[in-house]
Amino acid sequence: MTPDKRPNPDRLLELVRNESSEFPRGHLKIFFGSSAGVGKTFAMLTEARRRQSEGKDVLIGVVEHHGRSETAALVEGLPVLPLQEIDHRGVKVREFDLDGALARKPPLILMDEFAHTNAPGSRHPKRWQDVEELLDNGIDVYTTLNVQHLESVNDQVAKLTGIWVKETVPDTIFESADEIALVDIPSDELLKRLADGKVYVAEGANKRAAENFFKKTNLLALRELALRRTAERVDAQSDELNAAMGQNEAQVGQKIMLLIGPDPLSTRLIRHAKRMATRGRAPWYAVYLQSDRHEQLDEKGRTRVEQYLRLAENLGAQIVRLSGARPAQDILAYAQQNGFTRIVVGYRRPKWWLRPFQSTLAQALIEASDGMEITVVHGATGQARAPLQPVDALRPFLARPLDYGLATAAVALCTLIAFPFRDHTPSNNLAMIYLTGVVVVAARLGLGPSILASMLSIPAFNFFFTDPYYTFNFYDTYYYVTFAFMLVTSLVVGSLTARLSRHARLVSNRERETQILYGLTRGLSNERSVEMICAVAIKHLSGPFSLDVTVFVQTLNGLQTYPVGAASQDMREMGAVNWVAANGLMAGRDTDTMPSARGLYLPLQAESENLGVLGLTARNATQPFSGAEILQFEAFASLIAGALQRARRSEQAAEAKVESENEKLRNVLLSSLSHDLRTPLTVMNGSVSLLLRMRKELPRKAVDELTGLWSQLGRLQKFVGNLLDMAAITSGHMKLNFQPYMIQEIIGAAIGRAQATKGARTLRTQISGELPMVRIDGGLIEQVFINLIENAFQHTDDNGEIVIYVEKDADRLRVRVSDNGTGLKEGEEARIFEQFQKGQTLRSDRSGGTGLGLAICRGIVQAHGGMIYAKNNRSLPGQSDARSSAGASFIFTLPIATATAASEEI
Amino acid sequence: MTDSPRILSIEDEADIRKFLRTTLATHNMTVVEAETGKEGLQKAVLQTPDVILLDLGLPDMDGMDIIRQVREWGRTPIIVLSARGQEADKVEALELGADDYLTKPFSAAELIARIKVALRNRNQPQGDAPFVYNHDSLIIDTAARRIRLDGEDIHLTPIEYKLLTVLARNSGKVLTHGALLSEVWGKHNSENQTYLRIHTQHLREKLKDDALNPRFIVTEPGIGYRLKP
Repeated sequence: MTPDKRPNPDRLLELVRNESSEFPRGHLKIFFGSSAGVGKTFAMLTEARRRQSEGKDVLIGVVEHHGRSETAALVEGLPVLPLQEIDHRGVKVREFDLDGALARKPPLILMDEFAHTNAPGSRHPKRWQDVEELLDNGIDVYTTLNVQHLESVNDQVAKLTGIWVKETVPDTIFESADEIALVDIPSDELLKRLADGKVYVAEGANKRAAENFFKKTNLLALRELALRRTAERVDAQSDELNAAMGQNEAQVGQKIMLLIGPDPLSTRLIRHAKRMATRGRAPWYAVYLQSDRHEQLDEKGRTRVEQYLRLAENLGAQIVRLSGARPAQDILAYAQQNGFTRIVVGYRRPKWWLRPFQSTLAQALIEASDGMEITVVHGATGQARAPLQPVDALRPFLARPLDYGLATAAVALCTLIAFPFRDHTPSNNLAMIYLTGVVVVAARLGLGPSILASMLSIPAFNFFFTDPYYTFNFYDTYYYVTFAFMLVTSLVVGSLTARLSRHARLVSNRERETQILYGLTRGLSNERSVEMICAVAIKHLSGPFSLDVTVFVQTLNGLQTYPVGAASQDMREMGAVNWVAANGLMAGRDTDTMPSARGLYLPLQAESENLGVLGLTARNATQPFSGAEILQFEAFASLIAGALQRARRSEQAAEAKVESENEKLRNVLLSSLSHDLRTPLTVMNGSVSLLLRMRKELPRKAVDELTGLWSQLGRLQKFVGNLLDMAAITSGHMKLNFQPYMIQEIIGAAIGRAQATKGARTLRTQISGELPMVRIDGGLIEQVFINLIENAFQHTDDNGEIVIYVEKDADRLRVRVSDNGTGLKEGEEARIFEQFQKGQTLRSDRSGGTGLGLAICRGIVQAHGGMIYAKNNRSLPGQSDARSSAGASFIFTLPIATATAASEEI
Repeated sequence: MTDSPRILSIEDEADIRKFLRTTLATHNMTVVEAETGKEGLQKAVLQTPDVILLDLGLPDMDGMDIIRQVREWGRTPIIVLSARGQEADKVEALELGADDYLTKPFSAAELIARIKVALRNRNQPQGDAPFVYNHDSLIIDTAARRIRLDGEDIHLTPIEYKLLTVLARNSGKVLTHGALLSEVWGKHNSENQTYLRIHTQHLREKLKDDALNPRFIVTEPGIGYRLKP
């Protein structure tokens, strides 16, 4: 295996993650067929019943059986989700109940007719969007789909069958489905079923269309299309796997740019580019060049551009908007900077009389391209489905009638100005005055009025200023030249000026956008509080766009609305807001989700954290937001989100500071307490130990007293030590210093410490088998052993025998400290680890324990991820003989998983 | 040692100073006292003590700074007095150059024992000078590169030999995990304690030592190892 062919772990991981992500997404299975009547719904229901018999809960979301009895029989016995009634302008429509389904959260739901368009007023316009939301909520979905509803084959279907299908499903959804089941029957059989009335055919006018549709040629073509599409998908999947396994890498570096324009040829281009990208497994981008021609577009043209961009997006393209005055150069520069390898562009042959003047974009690109592949799709006349809007070409002339009136008035004014000079100046100079008028009109009113002004200037000049005056006659043939030059000059100057001023407007629009962005950025950068950030955002956005701006900020108690008190929104609006907050996607008017809402709602997201929602309601509600505007709003939203994120960070930092100050204070308190308690103890301890060394010089009685004092001091010391340990544990601020240890080392150290109080008792350790290393805090676990050993000492006399058993039990180390003392009373086993629950009140009276030792053990063991419990020896298995059945055992476990990993490093 | 050793106690608590003074005096040691860190540093220079007893909780200075400053110019043994549960402080003090520690409250006997170890270590050869260690029939002769246990030669790997001689050179004194790792494996290796555990275990096996009941190598949980003097 060459290094290049090694499996790429990242890609494999990604595949696995796609299959089982952290928040598992539901599985989508599509029953895919070539046309109605092949039995998709039947197949889906059969499969669902099989799954139900396997014990999976199945819910029918929507199933259309069109009254077919075989299918209806399959529905029986499966629970059905009732449809909801949607009131649309007084008409009640029954539609799938998305919220009902989300509330029931079934493991598997059946959603017939994937491409269905929902009734207006539903949350999503399309059923496939409902399905997306179900999948996002971890619900598995079965659905049915006919090939003609697939976006990318839409035009092919139209070409093949002559029927234009409006309900489509984006290919990305189809490609991301977990499973595609092709439901296929031979066309002859389908026709037979049709003849038998087994296929649902709509009534009325559609019936004829449907009959045209079910022709054998059509069915064969569709069947081939369905089979091919399924095969392509299988190819794509195996390629994906192969690519991850390092074999047959997709063509490296292929990157396709598609140029989109207002021309309806764009839809064909989009599908062409999509197929090209799928075949080459290349990323593709749909680019719209927002040149000054964009300004000339009417509303319909702009809407078309947005539609095309959205179509491309649905087919998996990334959307880019460029702006520039020199299309070909700007596009090529962008393509080269961003590593594109191929540009797809449409081409329409210009009218013959325009050819010498007009260079098409395709031509310009080909001429300027340098090593870039240019694919030209030829849009022959008559191919276009929608006729080219003549309004585009005429747009510059479609100024308001008033503008033409003003242009006429301007010519009249020029005449008035020129008139007094008629007898003093050569008439050529007076022509200049008209020219000036034309330039002013062009600059102010645009191309159309300026042409009118040019046209009017000639007769006016002729009428008033050429001999003979007040007639349209002239004596001097020289005036032909004057008129011709005047006309040409004024037309050229007028059109240039008009173009210039259009450009200036474009620049000033962009300037304004930049200004708003700049103002917002500067305003936001100074603010650290959520309230002020929202105020700044509202101030900067509401003015220039005449919008009502509302910011909803996610807090622990739900959404907080800014400006405060603006939450008088109705249910529908709040529904949209909550949906955006929960899903982190845009919704509201001019989007795909809840388009009937009045406002547009954008998620405020920073680093994939949902911080809130930006609500924008246009004061003038009639005009839809354009794609460019929405893009701008998204930029604003991300700025605001960034500021909110910053505000939240600084809040958290402040909290953390308070927390660490608190911790510091607690530590200071604890250590000063510890110091204050230990100093006198150290002194007393020292003095008594000194005195005891001089016992020979002291009276016997004094020595007895000192011995008593010595042992009481020992108890006091232990008590203070325990109290301080316990304080550290219960405050939750015990810091563990994990290090690898052989547990024997810790036991050895603890036994060493216990020697002083052992007396005549025996203390031994029994280890079964090989023990792995454990990662523990050595000092604290030593303390556990010391406490348990001393506890055992307290409950045994000089005949006491304490045994420490250690064994490996699966992924844990099990330690048992067993004594042969008095044992535990019933019900004491659990309570004994509680604070101040001294076993001694029930057990022996002689103990000097404080009742804290065992609670400390529990705290330490639990902090290590282990558990601790006590048992009487007689209740332990395998303790049959009388000697070892006395007394109690204290058992604790320590996890060893990480330690084995550490020891493998050697 | 001919004359009585001079002990400097840097301790702000008058009662503890008094206890130290009495205890040390009964063992024929001269006591120099300092109440503050500053005074302590001065006396550490001027009085040339043989051992310094240092309380870590001084009001005017951080005890760690005192260790650092003393180590800048001298190797006078420092014994740190600290409270239980402050393992991290002990490790830090030891790694800065302190020689040993005592956990409060401690007994007179413990104090004297530690001071004696410190005094003996002070006279031990420094650096790579050859020495002989002899304890409980374990004989380490670095000049001959020879280890004998119960009269028999023991064969160690180079790492085990290094580990044992580092411990033996400082016998009686706790060596932190970090100190042992950087002494044996080099500075950059001071993180991986698993090495140390494994090699210590092998060394113990060869020395017929038992971690449960150590004959030579004593574990100080959370701190390090100590070879019995």
